[in-house]
Amino acid sequence: MAVSEQPPGPGLTGWLSDKLFNNYIWRSIFRSGYPNTPRNQMLVVATNVFLHLHPTRLHKTHVRITHTYCLGGITFFFFLVLTVTGVMLMFYYVPAADRAFQDVAALETNIRFGMLMRNLHRWMAHGMVISVFLHMMRVFYTGSYKPPREFNWLVGVILLTLTLALSFTGYLLPWDQLSIWAVTVGMNMAGTVPVMGEQSRFILLGGFEVGDAALIRFYTLHVIGLPILAAVFMAVHFWRIRRDGGLARPL
Amino acid sequence: MAVDAPAVPRTAAAIRPRRERDQELLVWPDLVFIEFIAATVFLLMFVILSTVLDAPLLNQANLDITPNPSKAAWYLVALQELLLHMHPALGGVIAPTFALGIIGAFPYIDRSNDGQGTWFGTSNAIKITLFAAAFASIFTVALILYDQGRHVNVVTSVAQEFDKDWQWPGKLSMFQNVRAIQTGWEWSIPVPESAQLGPGEHDGELNWPDDLSHVPMPFNGTSGPDWMRWGPPTFLPAWMQAMYWYDLNMNTPAFVVELFIPVAIMVLLPVIMILMLRRLGWVNNMRDGSIAIFTGMMSVYFILTIIGAGFRGAGQDLVLPWDVPHID
Repeated sequence: MAVSEQPPGPGLTGWLSDKLFNNYIWRSIFRSGYPNTPRNQMLVVATNVFLHLHPTRLHKTHVRITHTYCLGGITFFFFLVLTVTGVMLMFYYVPAADRAFQDVAALETNIRFGMLMRNLHRWMAHGMVISVFLHMMRVFYTGSYKPPREFNWLVGVILLTLTLALSFTGYLLPWDQLSIWAVTVGMNMAGTVPVMGEQSRFILLGGFEVGDAALIRFYTLHVIGLPILAAVFMAVHFWRIRRDGGLARPL
Repeated sequence: MAVDAPAVPRTAAAIRPRRERDQELLVWPDLVFIEFIAATVFLLMFVILSTVLDAPLLNQANLDITPNPSKAAWYLVALQELLLHMHPALGGVIAPTFALGIIGAFPYIDRSNDGQGTWFGTSNAIKITLFAAAFASIFTVALILYDQGRHVNVVTSVAQEFDKDWQWPGKLSMFQNVRAIQTGWEWSIPVPESAQLGPGEHDGELNWPDDLSHVPMPFNGTSGPDWMRWGPPTFLPAWMQAMYWYDLNMNTPAFVVELFIPVAIMVLLPVIMILMLRRLGWVNNMRDGSIAIFTGMMSVYFILTIIGAGFRGAGQDLVLPWDVPHID
């Protein structure tokens, strides 16, 4: 078990950190102290539920910023923050045609930090679409889709479409002129699918035009259906990076 | 046969690089800290952005009031732009699906392991990227300008300085825009009296576009001799009926304008680009070709997005960015 064997340092800070981090309650949460030896640093990565997605060691090219520009990680981070801000927005939002717009408008006027949450959610959603595109370009131009990572590239393409679908379904929710017409334009495109265009449009909208039924469908897809799907594919995506030997680097 | 034999033999390409411990770093702290800093920086950036810039909220949704222009979300504006120039099914669904399919297929087309993990891994990669980006952008902009047809006004007004009655010649109407091939271009081929296809009288000539705008599809059940005529196949399930072209007549000029020419352009331009790059000696393998195609597709998407979002005003007319109407 990883245990920091360091004795408390001298002076007030040493005494304070000893009291804070070396007591019964803290130790019940974090079994070890700050990992300050290579052995403990590897153990903390291997045993922590959040960190164990990482390997314990990685090649030094992988931490070079210009190799990845952190784009995949930033996309994932955006997804996490979007989940948090999205949950907060859900507290105040009812997906019904006669309420949705007022609920969104009330975020600005009635709810403390409501506008900040909505702005964060909106701008980060755009940010996620951009970062996922840039991530794809990074992976392409560094030839990182090459064997054995072919399938992970495909998973990435699926995640790109899911990101666009998440953003598109969210676009309708404010129920203003921008959202309803953007979705109408988008749905008319779906209506031109050969053979089953009208049917697929009808299924997505739950009717012939963008109304109450479409709003609840888009909302459900946006807050639960697509995020779960995206999370599953992300899990596969990250797992495959590990299984395929980490990030691609020159042979 | 051994039970644990691998289903697929491991090829040389699938072998992982050997671990070199001296080249390795610990994830804690070397990676975890970078991730933490990146997350903090981006969170701060977006909190600041969100305090200074409010997300748009227009008037309440109303299907009775259509804003002009109505635009899709910015990442779909590229497809909306395509709709202006080709059949909606082609521009909105088939072409993008095909493009996504090609993107997904790159690892299966370019299977070599060379240059992996290196930015622009082949010797000509940067040149190819720049060339493909320029080629795709120039042709996209040129095709949009052509289809918009502004040059017709310019040429006409210049020509009318010299000849007041000058009109754009009908024979050259295909140079106005692509739709003019269907609506403005008229020609005819004399047809001998003896040539008789199907019932009805013919006037001795085959006219474009009128005579070709109602060409029965083969076996459409409502044209040809008696034995080729039958009622609608109501005995089939609805989805099969939807797939059968009963009573369908092809509008050939519309087909040429909306499907044939756009598809030809979307296939031929990349082929020409690859041939040019090969002639230049820059494209030597699948990786080079993939870079050219991927860059071309990304550039087209980028240009279409810029034009669709920034240069399309009321009625999807091509205008300057400051003339795009403000929608509330």
